Amino acid sequence: MGFKRIKLAIDSDLDQVFLVGVAVNKLCSISSFSLAESYNIELCVVEAITNSIKHSYRGEKGKEVVVILTLTEDHISIDVCDCGTAMDPDVLKNADLTYHNDKTYDIENIADCGRGIGIMKMIMDSVTYATGKEGNCLTLRKNIPPVE
Amino acid sequence: MEIGEEKIGDIVVLKLKGRLDASSAKAMKDKVNALTKENQKSLVVDMKGVDFIDSTGLGTLVACLRSVNKLGGDIKIASLQDQIRAILELTRLHHIFGIYNDGAAAVESFKG
Repeated sequence: MGFKRIKLAIDSDLDQVFLVGVAVNKLCSISSFSLAESYNIELCVVEAITNSIKHSYRGEKGKEVVVILTLTEDHISIDVCDCGTAMDPDVLKNADLTYHNDKTYDIENIADCGRGIGIMKMIMDSVTYATGKEGNCLTLRKNIPPVE
Repeated sequence: MEIGEEKIGDIVVLKLKGRLDASSAKAMKDKVNALTKENQKSLVVDMKGVDFIDSTGLGTLVACLRSVNKLGGDIKIASLQDQIRAILELTRLHHIFGIYNDGAAAVESFKG
């Protein structure tokens, strides 16, 4: 079958992030992903775009976030790219959902933010980040489950 | 996201509809802040109509719970859709909220 690819671009505006999320969810659901997996992939893409807007562009509107979705026979790959300030690679390396929850579940010790990358790492099969002259790209990859 | 409000005795039920994400979370936080200023400290967040939540939405729920707890109150969550419940469990935040199958059960839990 080869591969199928679509490129989506939005303004760096949090009000527009859902547009890409909904599109990605639909594209996943028409492949072999379950509804739950499609939802989870949408969530990861929304987290990645939100990080680009909040952190790379520091919340400034009028910039562009590009999302390239590639569907192959055995996996989906989604690049979320921006031209803002690059992320410290240690942020991705050290992101861990368990860090944000105190085992006593004391509300005073539970963080309000910082779960996004941890969620991506829990849900996706791989999360990688590259930066260069062309900008920054976070790549999310999820293998398509074998058909039973 | 739409936020509806109903008062049942001393309990305020917030009925959310839509996506609780980075775009809408501030509206939720502002709503709860306004209620806490009125010393409303028994809140039910009915999420039957919420079909998407992200980490910002989760963080906002945590922040709202903390502010209500400081008044000696509580926030109970009701009517979670399966995917939203799964994300709460993935992030283990289900341990800090009272979660009920429907709004009536959440309201009743305050009377116990």
